[in-house]
Amino acid sequence: MTTMATPTQSTPATPAPVYNPKSESGTAKRIKSIIFHIVALALVGVVLYPALWMVASSFKPNSEIGGSTTQLWSNNFSFDNFVTAMDGIGGVSTLTFFTNSLILAVGAVVGTILSASVSAYAFARINFPGRGIFFGMMIATLLLPFHVVIIPQYIVFQQLGLVDTYVPLLIGKFLAADAFFVFLMVQFMRNLPAELDEAARIDGAGHVRIFGSIMLPLMKPALISTSIFSFIWSWNDFLGPLLYLNTPEKYPLPLALRLFVDQTQSSDYGAMIAMSVLALLPVLVFFLVFQRYIVEGVSTQGLKG
Amino acid sequence: MINRRNFLTTVALGTASAAFLSACGQSSSSSKTGSAENPVTITYTWWGNDDRAERTRKAIALFESKNPDVKVNGNFTDFAGYWQKRATEAAGGGLPDVMQWDLSYLRDYGQRNQLLDLGTVKINTDAFDKSLLPSGQIRGKTYGIPTSTNAFAVYYDPAKLKAMGIAEPDGTWNYKEFNSFLAEVGQKGNGTLFGGTDYTGVWWMFNIWLRQNNIQAFTDEGKLGFSKDDLKKWWNTTAQLRGTSAIVGEDKTTQLLPKSPFGSNVTATEVTWDNFMAGYLGDSGAKELKLVPVPSDNSDNLGLFLKPSMLMVASAKTKYKDAAARFIDFMVNDPEVGQIFKTSRGVPASKTQRDGTTFEGTDKLVVDYEKSIEKYLKDAPEPPIVGFGTLESSFKRVSSDLNYGKLTIDGAADAWFKEAEDLIKQNA
Repeated sequence: MTTMATPTQSTPATPAPVYNPKSESGTAKRIKSIIFHIVALALVGVVLYPALWMVASSFKPNSEIGGSTTQLWSNNFSFDNFVTAMDGIGGVSTLTFFTNSLILAVGAVVGTILSASVSAYAFARINFPGRGIFFGMMIATLLLPFHVVIIPQYIVFQQLGLVDTYVPLLIGKFLAADAFFVFLMVQFMRNLPAELDEAARIDGAGHVRIFGSIMLPLMKPALISTSIFSFIWSWNDFLGPLLYLNTPEKYPLPLALRLFVDQTQSSDYGAMIAMSVLALLPVLVFFLVFQRYIVEGVSTQGLKG
Repeated sequence: MINRRNFLTTVALGTASAAFLSACGQSSSSSKTGSAENPVTITYTWWGNDDRAERTRKAIALFESKNPDVKVNGNFTDFAGYWQKRATEAAGGGLPDVMQWDLSYLRDYGQRNQLLDLGTVKINTDAFDKSLLPSGQIRGKTYGIPTSTNAFAVYYDPAKLKAMGIAEPDGTWNYKEFNSFLAEVGQKGNGTLFGGTDYTGVWWMFNIWLRQNNIQAFTDEGKLGFSKDDLKKWWNTTAQLRGTSAIVGEDKTTQLLPKSPFGSNVTATEVTWDNFMAGYLGDSGAKELKLVPVPSDNSDNLGLFLKPSMLMVASAKTKYKDAAARFIDFMVNDPEVGQIFKTSRGVPASKTQRDGTTFEGTDKLVVDYEKSIEKYLKDAPEPPIVGFGTLESSFKRVSSDLNYGKLTIDGAADAWFKEAEDLIKQNA
């Protein structure tokens, strides 16, 4: 995600070449600025090349992808790969995979926003006994690698008969198990002036009212950053769905993508790349629409309210 | 939240495990059967692409129509994900009833008692080549039934050889002749076409060479059966070719990934399993590819064998042993299933299935190749040792370092032996 944000951030940092009659080095400045832009564009080119390669390859016939062919654009331009990709796999339509991914991603966003903001409010604003210890424990879960808990978690869900449902994939989101987001929001709330809550409390507001009417509106940037990350992470998640879902009708996109490449038989790279392009679109749109809030979320630190 | 279905599953699990415990020794009494009105459902899982999913669905539908008392719930994933998923399920106690299996994982799961001993259930193996069955057995217990076979071969592209004026090989050659053939291709290929990849980096080719010299790759105790000198001798076979146009450079090979040099039309030959045919044809766009036997310095012993390209196994904890056995039997023996899969799983292992299938085009090439080497076939090796996958990939890596010139042959042999011995000690 950080790499995606880099090129967009670097552009506004360039000083606009303003004509200044007093300055004798106006032309020199302009030359410098031109050089800077060329270098920046070249870097953007390097960073974006893989994406460009992917888009270009999605229009190529299979035998021209990878291997010894180095041409970016093929003369045999066609939409065949997209047609194959949309056909689906083993009788399951590609739209089903999209819908599943969308259900999981939206579920993850809703769950994380609801649970993380409430938990963060408790940690940031309510002085309950053991707060420090609980906060420390929550941070400690950040240090626990996911792979350590895979098998115990699997056994729990298996015993509960919840394997092959979306419950194991979503329940953690609704229970604020993503410590990173809770931590992000706690830090954000701590920067909001405490006087605002005090004022509300004097007016007779309880925790629910303070949270709903004062905190939530002020936390908009943090909520949006959380949504973006949560959406993208869920959209790209492979291991979770792989372990917990059995029926192909329930598979999200990342699982479906892998089915096009089978090293033991023949691989349809064209269809896989075409589907990757399609799978990328929702995330890209989501990012483009909300990306200005990411910058805002990082820079405002809540003092705007 | 426990709904009726989950509750039933829990109860069923409980009773099944209780029955399992009480039935140690008197097997198959825990097996449940269904009826046409009230069928039992078994789960079957496999890896593979869209094409295999389509074919498997057809086979399942056929099975269900012939066995109305069993429903088969089919699932699939890609190969890499398949094993991550199985590992988790095995640890969590929830392996599917019937699974498509790969030889390199058989010993691992078999030794940990995760797989059902198929000798205790009714599966007909009369139509199988007797030299093939040991590859599904560990210490006398049958854990896997091969669905299909593949054999090692040298692939070549006749059109490319013709364009260079090189005669097509007939497959009766020794290593020296094979090497000079590679060198000739490389010389006439003018830097754009290479002879082949360094075949000494392929574990199975090494294994075949050992068999040609009557050396076992692994002893019965699961130790290495060959010496460091054997390995050095093997890597010396192509010492003269490395760095020349007979062998495509390692840097080039890496650039071409995920495709192989042969599939990318950079080499004229490749040494590998005969079931890669369809993949190579698709990748390279070549009209025709041919197969000939591997070289050997002893023309009576080519070291060749049939390897199960995949096996069918059942979970040791399955509640429906009888249904699982019937499904496996159907998948490996039924002629109509052969007709559905053709050679997409490899050449059908069971004779009834092979005879019931009509092979055309590419399929016929592969089947004919396996028929042509029939007289050279020896017993298939036992399932590879635990951790074999790691050994195989480190063999590839060490030999690619050799090709890069980062290691000498002595250094490479030392490096690989150390890794191999550590790994075997760890898994012992």
